Amino acid sequence: MFTVRTRIKIPPRAINAHRRPIIYIKHRTMAAPISTAMDSLSAALKSNIIPNQEYLLQGSVLDSAVEVLLHRLRGLCDNVDSGPETFHDHEMCFSIRRGPPPEQPLLLRVRRALDYQDMPWQLRYIGQPELGDKSRPTIVRSSIDIATSNSVVEFLTELGCRLDFEYIVRGYMFRKGRMKVTVSKIFKMGQGKLPESVEPISQSYLVELSVLAPSGQDAIAEDMRIFAEQLRPLVQLEKIDYKRLVH
Amino acid sequence: MGVTVLQQFPMTENRTGPQTIEFLTKRIVALGAVQTGQFLVDCETYMSVPQLGVQKTVHVLHNSEQPASVFAVLESGSKVVPLIADGLFDLLMLKMTSIYTSKKQTKIESKGPRFEIGDFCVKLGSVTMSQNFKGVLVEVEYRPCVVPGSAWDLMREFLQGFIGSVVPNQAPQYLQNRMNDIYQPMDTIQQYLEHFGQYRKTTGVI
Repeated sequence: MFTVRTRIKIPPRAINAHRRPIIYIKHRTMAAPISTAMDSLSAALKSNIIPNQEYLLQGSVLDSAVEVLLHRLRGLCDNVDSGPETFHDHEMCFSIRRGPPPEQPLLLRVRRALDYQDMPWQLRYIGQPELGDKSRPTIVRSSIDIATSNSVVEFLTELGCRLDFEYIVRGYMFRKGRMKVTVSKIFKMGQGKLPESVEPISQSYLVELSVLAPSGQDAIAEDMRIFAEQLRPLVQLEKIDYKRLVH
Repeated sequence: MGVTVLQQFPMTENRTGPQTIEFLTKRIVALGAVQTGQFLVDCETYMSVPQLGVQKTVHVLHNSEQPASVFAVLESGSKVVPLIADGLFDLLMLKMTSIYTSKKQTKIESKGPRFEIGDFCVKLGSVTMSQNFKGVLVEVEYRPCVVPGSAWDLMREFLQGFIGSVVPNQAPQYLQNRMNDIYQPMDTIQQYLEHFGQYRKTTGVI
């Protein structure tokens, strides 16, 4: 169950007791009318606080070069002391469409952590990527990230979604401010084999630099360009044009 | 979080909806209950477009008791798939409007005062479907216990003492089917959905 948690930091009484800020907490009073979840959502949309835009740059490195890149990232990123976080996920990519082409499909992805089985599953909507012109440093695509219960795969299947492909992804995650860097290896789904015996899809690692932000925060794209610059020539992070990959 | 039971309170000729809520409020307060704000459970239903083949229905519900969650119940043939998600699931449903369309006129909610009385939590909901009053739905939760089989007798006694003989001796069918299971928030949602279904089917008030 997901509950709303609020954390308010109050300095200890001993230090600067006279300077303690007065904190007003708005209690739900008996008289106050209760608002619907949809009202709160529209208010959140209106004030533009929902992170629904993903800024993305992608690249890849050969297995033989990954150690050097990881070393460089360890030096550049925030989580220096704790080291990078590892992850081991299973991702399933679904699509649903109203009718046969040219109807555009709606793309949905489900991700679950294989190393933390109790965590909520992630359901993700990804919109059409916008490449923009040369002046725009990153791809921008709309994205909605939703935590869900583990019934999500059955839910999507019954909803009418088709499983297009799935894979296992394993790698490292770094943070630099609001930016997220993942260095990961993609494996084919093992056909009933042990998870350890999965077969890698290629001899390289996928490198992704991304930020999930409310719309209109284009300044972040510039930060990403500068950061990507610092990773050259170890990895070349670019705007990947998916249309060029389709035959 | 404990076991929850829903009970429709039959409407009489001489009382309006608000008067019934007031009547029940007086009773529960006389028993020693303290009002602790308002509550709201709402439900919106989406239907798949004909192009998708066999019609499927998605009910999306919110409960102010779990304010950060969205509950969805998908009905596809004889299959019912529940899903619990965070608040952004509502945004996803908005993205799906070309495939699943909302039946706005069946939007239904139960809303009213919330009380605490010892180990019980009582909610007096007036049910409205697109602004039309449909009836009064009483929710009683016995909070210290999560197994319906162990809680039912106590809840029945409390309910009968509070709203009288309309409360049957048997547990509602929904609970009877899972007397020894661990009760979860989704079970409350499923019960609301059942009752909302009945209110939607009738033209007048219940």
